Amino acid sequence: MRSEYLWSILFFFPVLVVQTTFIPLISIGGIVPDLVLILLIFYTLRNYQLYGTVLGFVYGFLFDIITGSLLGSAMLSKTLAGFTAGYFATETKRDKYLRSYNFAFIVLLCAVIDLMVYSFFGPAEISRNILLLFFQQAMLPGLYTAVISLIVLIFIPGRRLF
Amino acid sequence: MFRVIRQIWSNFKEYIVLVILLIASLVTISFNHKPEVKKIRAAAFGSFAVVSSVLSETFGIASIRSENAELRKMNAELMLQVSRLRQFAIENEELRSLVGLKDTASLPLIPAAIVSRSLIRTQGTVTLNAGNSDGVKPGMPVISGHGLLGIVYSTSENFSIVRTLQNTDLKLTVKNERSRVDAVMKWNGEDLIMVDVPKTYDVEPGDRIITSDLSSVVAVPLPVGVVIGFEKIETGIFNEVKVRPFADFLRAENVFVVGIVESIQKKDLELNFYNR
Repeated sequence: MRSEYLWSILFFFPVLVVQTTFIPLISIGGIVPDLVLILLIFYTLRNYQLYGTVLGFVYGFLFDIITGSLLGSAMLSKTLAGFTAGYFATETKRDKYLRSYNFAFIVLLCAVIDLMVYSFFGPAEISRNILLLFFQQAMLPGLYTAVISLIVLIFIPGRRLF
Repeated sequence: MFRVIRQIWSNFKEYIVLVILLIASLVTISFNHKPEVKKIRAAAFGSFAVVSSVLSETFGIASIRSENAELRKMNAELMLQVSRLRQFAIENEELRSLVGLKDTASLPLIPAAIVSRSLIRTQGTVTLNAGNSDGVKPGMPVISGHGLLGIVYSTSENFSIVRTLQNTDLKLTVKNERSRVDAVMKWNGEDLIMVDVPKTYDVEPGDRIITSDLSSVVAVPLPVGVVIGFEKIETGIFNEVKVRPFADFLRAENVFVVGIVESIQKKDLELNFYNR
């Protein structure tokens, strides 16, 4: 379990490097997928809710401190995303979720929660159309992240996509 | 007693941990402006940027060809513009020396490349591979080949974080180049807008917007964007003027940091004036 914690934190750094260098090149209209969130959900499903909540907090802290975003904003949103993903990490179903298209749906749900919370600390003005904001800043990047998570799923051994 | 606590913990530990971590996150938000936190952040992003700059250069090679073509075109256009401006400069220099004005035309430029961008577009920050050792300081404006990109927010020894114009915390005083109308410009999550511009002011679509000499952040005229329309035109006495920025925040790769920081002496003088 301890080594799992260590690996999950060590993996964060190469993923963040790819996120900030390569991922902007595949952005669509400025919308980019969130690889860090995919990693968080992957580890949460493997190690249950408590682990996911703490890991979300750690990822959020590292993310905030490295990228220069408002310290505490990603901590809050990623903690909630990890906690939400933890509801799917039950003894009986986690393997099913980890190795099928269900993984993408969990990613979509958690990404929407993560991005919605995160956008409250971002530049969007709440007085503007809240539905439009939800669509632009949470739904679209969430969908893109979910699609990319399907590609990531290919590299997980023993997968059954459908 | 201990048994009760243990039972509560075993039944609700996920929720207890969640609440503690959420409170910790909210408390952390209030620490953002502490100098110690800024120092830790500068060290963290500086170390991270070393790695990301290597990868960024590798990925950047693919786009160099198209950028070169664009730069060649821009070079030709600028060459024509320079020859025209040179004539004006000679004339201007003579006239300025006649009235004894100081020369403000030459600005030191520090070349830099964008090595990483914010994870989410709305975050509005980029990391440059130039830092304290190159003379970059917080508050310096950053320009691309097209116009103002943002302002340096934080620096480490070899890297710096820039708040782009798409960052909500960045508010600039800008000026309409044609009518000389000043206004505050900010990012509202969708567009760059000049806020609270009285409807009677002379602002037209197509007008060029530059930084204003009234700005306490950038007091030299740098091109910012062009007026594309108005918002809130039905109600009130103020318009919101939509501006399309000249700089392309998604594609900009090579930029220049303008080596000027707004004069502390000037700020002190103005503060003293208002304190009377």
